[in-house]
Amino acid sequence: MPGEAQPKASRAHIEVTTWVTKHVGGDGTGSRVFDEEIRRGDTPRTVLRRFTARFPELDAALWSADHSELGSHIEVLVNDAVLGVAYDLDTPLIGGERITLLGQFMGG
Amino acid sequence: MSPTATATRAAAKPAAAPTFAYAGKLLRVNLSTGKTWTEAWSENDRREYLGGIGLGARILYEEVGPKVQWDHPDNRLVLATGPLAGLPVWGTGGLTVITRGALTGGATSTQANGFFGAALKYSGYDAIVIQGQAKKLCYLYINDDVVEVRDAAHLRGKDTWETQQALEAEHNVSGHRLSVYAIGPAGENLVRFAAIHGDYGHVASKNGCGAVMGKKKLKAVCIVRGTKALAAHDTRGLIQAADDIAHDLKTDPSTSTLYNYGTLPGVVNLSKLGVLPIKNYTTNLTGDVNMKDWEAPSLRGGFDHRGHQCNACGMRHCHIQIIPKGRYEGERVDEPEYEGWSGAGWTIGLTDKYSVSWLNTRIDRACVDVNEFGWVCGWVMECMEKGYLTEKQVGFRLTWGDVEGAWKLLQMISHRQGFGDLLAEGVKRASEKIGGKAAECAVYTMKGASPRGHDHRGRWEEMLDTCTSSNGTMESANPTFQTEVGAPGRINPFDGEQVAKLVGMIRGRRHFEDSLGGCSFTFRTKMANLARALSAATGWDYRLEDAVRFGNRTAAILRAFNLRCGIGVEVEYPSARYGSQPVDGPAKEHDVRKQWDRMLEVWYDTVGYDRKTGKPKRETLRALGLGWLEKDLYKK
Repeated sequence: MPGEAQPKASRAHIEVTTWVTKHVGGDGTGSRVFDEEIRRGDTPRTVLRRFTARFPELDAALWSADHSELGSHIEVLVNDAVLGVAYDLDTPLIGGERITLLGQFMGG
Repeated sequence: MSPTATATRAAAKPAAAPTFAYAGKLLRVNLSTGKTWTEAWSENDRREYLGGIGLGARILYEEVGPKVQWDHPDNRLVLATGPLAGLPVWGTGGLTVITRGALTGGATSTQANGFFGAALKYSGYDAIVIQGQAKKLCYLYINDDVVEVRDAAHLRGKDTWETQQALEAEHNVSGHRLSVYAIGPAGENLVRFAAIHGDYGHVASKNGCGAVMGKKKLKAVCIVRGTKALAAHDTRGLIQAADDIAHDLKTDPSTSTLYNYGTLPGVVNLSKLGVLPIKNYTTNLTGDVNMKDWEAPSLRGGFDHRGHQCNACGMRHCHIQIIPKGRYEGERVDEPEYEGWSGAGWTIGLTDKYSVSWLNTRIDRACVDVNEFGWVCGWVMECMEKGYLTEKQVGFRLTWGDVEGAWKLLQMISHRQGFGDLLAEGVKRASEKIGGKAAECAVYTMKGASPRGHDHRGRWEEMLDTCTSSNGTMESANPTFQTEVGAPGRINPFDGEQVAKLVGMIRGRRHFEDSLGGCSFTFRTKMANLARALSAATGWDYRLEDAVRFGNRTAAILRAFNLRCGIGVEVEYPSARYGSQPVDGPAKEHDVRKQWDRMLEVWYDTVGYDRKTGKPKRETLRALGLGWLEKDLYKK
């Protein structure tokens, strides 16, 4: 994200994009970026759990009904790569990462 | 008032053989003789083949033998709708075109919307089956029981919009009262990726179905909205199911943008995943383009709008627009779908949205498939940049983003002029003919089918589907609500085994959708919901498992048809460029070629087909109730 301040080593950016922004006070377009603290032992799962706890609609949309796994319709990217490549939900974070929540695109 | 009847009306005058949701007849047309006739189809056949591609697959398999090539008079051109068409469910003017196509030489199913399906049902027909070849250019006129093959000399050379306007004037009927599906110059000149276009902005685009229509010298099919009654078995239940589907579309976060903006959000969304095709797959970076201008509200907001919808649709999807400024100021265009923004835009390096919008409509009016046009035009642009094609060969200099040059190329292709004659064969044949390094730059499947307007190097499931499918496009309709068939809600998109398993499990969904007579966007709901609507419409007890079985059965018939045409496992690969490793962007670490053979193994195992012969296994066919096909496929 050119021109945007990079998070400090103990923090990460969570970027919420497209229709997912509706769940964090947006209008369903563009993106909103949140600067989040990274604690010792944090992973994408733990950071996202703390983050979504503040946004009940996002919490319901991102996780499966029992909250054990991600649901079907929001992609999670870490540093522009989808989960399952360099990171999975339980890979330790070191700080400085950018976690993107991208709404699945239906159609086209 | 719509001629849709109510259940009460149907109950008061019960038919001897109830045809709830169906007109109950197929319209047959032989263009060689000019003869037209109708043919009833039984309740059992309706239950088994539904309509659309289900019906078309059966007709294709039974009536088009292996020696009947796409341009043979005995090839069939089936224009079929389905049981929900014309009923009060969103987007139910759907039409599916089924034929032996010009690009792959195999089966084709390609779906479009507008009003055709409803108009056809209200005229008393569930499908039109066209055979033969007229001696002179003609059009088919349908007005209830009046069915005539008429001279179309006055329509020769007209583009699809001009054709529709001329027929509206000729019959003094316009708007939603007249549905016209036609070919433009590309179809008349047998361009192998000619499409069939209708109702100002709707396209059955795949596998050269417009060339088949052109070969039959059929310029247009023109239907005055009919007056026949159409009954649902349980009107209240149907409306309840339709309301539930609409509610889900509006409120489910994953589909609400589709409801509000159609496919426009795809440009930005897919660019973030490396799935937006940019400059013929040479990069996945959007460069200095301000992507905020490509968000859905921006794409739509800059245009002056005129209303335009499909039958019974409440979506905010299809629009006619006026270009507000620039070179094409004041021109009336159809808002591009995502594939228009990619095929007429990003694929050829064109990122001025007004120019893309103009070019996309020009492509539609010529009746050219926008995806294949993008692959052809982008290939020429790249090859000229790299010196693999010369100005002397092409006839002029064509560079990335040159909209006027692209328009010139489109005209050359549509009229088969100069280098356009070779390009009209499609990018596979053209690049193979040129050879050398140019051949390595072309995006296609080895079957010859056009990939849809994505960069599938970041979307392996669709690359696998496009390469293994038997309908000239895709059979699975991903992304979808795959958990309802037991597939995982989420996979690693670069794990070939997971990808192949998913594609195999959701295969056939597209066939089910495209057999109901509606729109794949308004049907972007769980199959169980569609099955509920189908049950209410017909009186059947149709369930999710029936829909899955139907999809797989249709896929097996199409596969058998293609095998009979000589299209087998040896061509289930992407071209060198299509299957290459991206040089940059989000998918740059991933090389699908390294996993392709394993992906095929898993896919074959999942769908129950034999990896060596490509045939559905005997037990698979028996489980699908296709004993007759088993006898045919395995006869000595």
